Amino acid sequence: MSDVIRSDEGSETMIKIENITKTYNKTVKALDNISFSVKGGEIVGFIGPNGSGKTTTMKILTGIIKPDMGKVTINGFNIREDPIEAKRSIGYIADNPDIFLRLKGLEFLELIGDIYKVPTDVRRSRTKDLAEKFGLTDALGSPMISYSHGMRQKIMVIAALIHKPPVWILDEPMIGLDPKSAFELKQLMREHTKEGNAVFFSTHVLEVAEKLCDRVIIIKNGHILYDGTLEELENQNKNKSLENIFLELTEK
Amino acid sequence: MKLYFRLVSALIKGVEPNDKEKKRNKIFYVVMSIIAGFGIMLPMAFFVGIIMYTATGALMQNGTQENGIEMFLHLIAVFSFIFGLNVFFSVFYFSGDIENLLPLPLKPYQITASKFTAAMISESVMEYLVIIAALAGYIIGGNMPLYSWLTAIIGTLTMPILPLIYCGILCMAVMYFTRFIRNKDTVNKITGVFTFLVIAGIVYLIAQSGFDSGKLIDALSNPENRLLETMNIIFPTIPLLTGSLGNGGILNFLMYIAVNIVAIAVFMIIAQFIYFPSVAGVGQSMSHKGKSADMTEKMHQISCSASYLKKELKILLRTPAYFTNCVMINFLVPVFVYLAYLINGQTNFLDSFIYGIRSGNEETVLIFMIGISAVSVLVTALNCIASSGITREGKHFSFIKYIPVSYMTQINVKAAVSIIISGAGMLTGVIIACLLLNTGIKFTIFCCLLSLLSVSFATYLGIYMDSINPKLIWDDELNALRGNYNIFFNMAIAIVTEAIICAGAYLLFKFTPTGSILIIIMLFVILMILNAVSYLLCLRGGVKNINSIE
Repeated sequence: MSDVIRSDEGSETMIKIENITKTYNKTVKALDNISFSVKGGEIVGFIGPNGSGKTTTMKILTGIIKPDMGKVTINGFNIREDPIEAKRSIGYIADNPDIFLRLKGLEFLELIGDIYKVPTDVRRSRTKDLAEKFGLTDALGSPMISYSHGMRQKIMVIAALIHKPPVWILDEPMIGLDPKSAFELKQLMREHTKEGNAVFFSTHVLEVAEKLCDRVIIIKNGHILYDGTLEELENQNKNKSLENIFLELTEK
Repeated sequence: MKLYFRLVSALIKGVEPNDKEKKRNKIFYVVMSIIAGFGIMLPMAFFVGIIMYTATGALMQNGTQENGIEMFLHLIAVFSFIFGLNVFFSVFYFSGDIENLLPLPLKPYQITASKFTAAMISESVMEYLVIIAALAGYIIGGNMPLYSWLTAIIGTLTMPILPLIYCGILCMAVMYFTRFIRNKDTVNKITGVFTFLVIAGIVYLIAQSGFDSGKLIDALSNPENRLLETMNIIFPTIPLLTGSLGNGGILNFLMYIAVNIVAIAVFMIIAQFIYFPSVAGVGQSMSHKGKSADMTEKMHQISCSASYLKKELKILLRTPAYFTNCVMINFLVPVFVYLAYLINGQTNFLDSFIYGIRSGNEETVLIFMIGISAVSVLVTALNCIASSGITREGKHFSFIKYIPVSYMTQINVKAAVSIIISGAGMLTGVIIACLLLNTGIKFTIFCCLLSLLSVSFATYLGIYMDSINPKLIWDDELNALRGNYNIFFNMAIAIVTEAIICAGAYLLFKFTPTGSILIIIMLFVILMILNAVSYLLCLRGGVKNINSIE
């Protein structure tokens, strides 16, 4: 079983990123010594302008890219030292849903189910439930190449959740989703954290962050500008809209 | 004109590896280029040059020396046309940049002309080498004047224009006049079958001559060769080019240039009128509607490796570009084996070989086994299932990295796919050959094992080579394979390694008292060692390479 990190309050720290630095081509510093953590039961929004380092952080968290220095722990597993167990704890939605388009939706979910060792009865009920929620039941038998962008995004969401991972890392998960599906995903995120799990997602939509997140992390040029609740942020900047606060912070 | 050059440059950059990919391993590119240059390109150019030099010398006695070079260039033009069809359908109608180019204030002929030029430059590098080698053989063999070399260089660069213009016009006409071909998959299937039939036809025609060079020279010596006359009408630039190489060829050369200019003008006029109407409404694939019944009941758990293997096989079989380039090629081997045997019934060109095998002649048996190993390695490298295993992941390469499956397990599954498909084609060919030669079960099993060992070696080598610098940025599956230097470099290394082994084995037999059985045992041992080395390369280097790709 995992060596679960305990935070100050006693709840489990599901994601911990410590002093991460990443430089591309030895010149572009994408992340500069950033640290933060996400506890079980928390939905944390990751906000920042384009090119601020959001996707790089997500990719480091999921083991896709290697940081120059620093440490990442997922559900108690170090992503470098114990990558397989760490990855097994993650449900990840990448920024591009165009993957294995020659497979049918159901075949893709079967592949993900087998990779994450989801038992037959569990995957059947979970796929049925999620496909109904996202209105994808009728499309499961069709090749994904015939899906619209939104449908591909929905199948990625189902694939990320089919194995009930304790940590969700979602890169712009709402892009392409219709209002009903976006609502369902937000509901699922809330239900997931109620069970003591963690959700960490990036978004450009401040309203989503405002309504959904327990905490937000604002990043710009590889530096974390703010890490806390939106309430605290608004209290510090009275009479200003969230949009204005965000613009002031990121345009400094 | 400035706009045209900018468009061509942008389109070529879209096909070529980007600067980041090139910089990632400069030394790798230099070393591989040297191996490919000396291992494949120069020997091939030398071989073509020698054939043309010899044929020209033989035909000069009847004063029909142009016939040899003309026939050869016609063959090149036909191949250029066949392979160009798929490329131009893809480039004109299904590439990812179409959606970005169409809304721009560009005229249809500007888009098609720049796409045509970029495709011709990217696709014709090997063709240029073959043409210049053939023309060099002809010039030297025919004692042509010095200025012929200048004409030959210009001719080499411009000869692919006409066959490719035919391709471009045919693609536009098909898309304009037909309504059933509106997606890439249908086009790939049709061009794949067409390519297969034409190649099989050419091989059949060549084989029917009994591989008798004397007969071929006799046919070419005939000043009224009907096939050549017909081809000269289809590709009129070729007789004009060969005519311009000899004395007093200036008029022919001017006519050669004029015909090319007219062809380009016709192409641009046609493009101006029919390109935009024909490009509207094309798509990537046919839409499929699945059943609305509860499909989740079909789900059942299998092992991760088995599931990954199924995924790889389905993608290879369902993607027409992969099916025609990676899968179908393997099953040409048994077809050619059987075809060669059938033709032998008419011409007897294989009789002494068949007799040698059936009577257990040591040298013939050794050549047969060396041949099996060489063809197995060549086919595995040619089908590029292994050497494009990581490249095929393309933009979703990150999938390999974020799933909880070790990189070596994924490499092994990709290797299994290559071994299954390459092995299936090779073993079918080997078994058919052994049955036809009546070699007996034990010998057949040995041959199958030798073939599998060769396939497995070439497979792991291919995956390792691809892991060094996979081409991950492509918007069309065909682009993942075409213009992919890794595949070419892997082919060069596999061919050079196998050539050294086969030549070594044969020379050992020929010039030392070592018996054929001992040499065959040594061949098995060497292949096993090579398998271990290539596996270890993947285990150590391949995993490290995948880890470092971002």
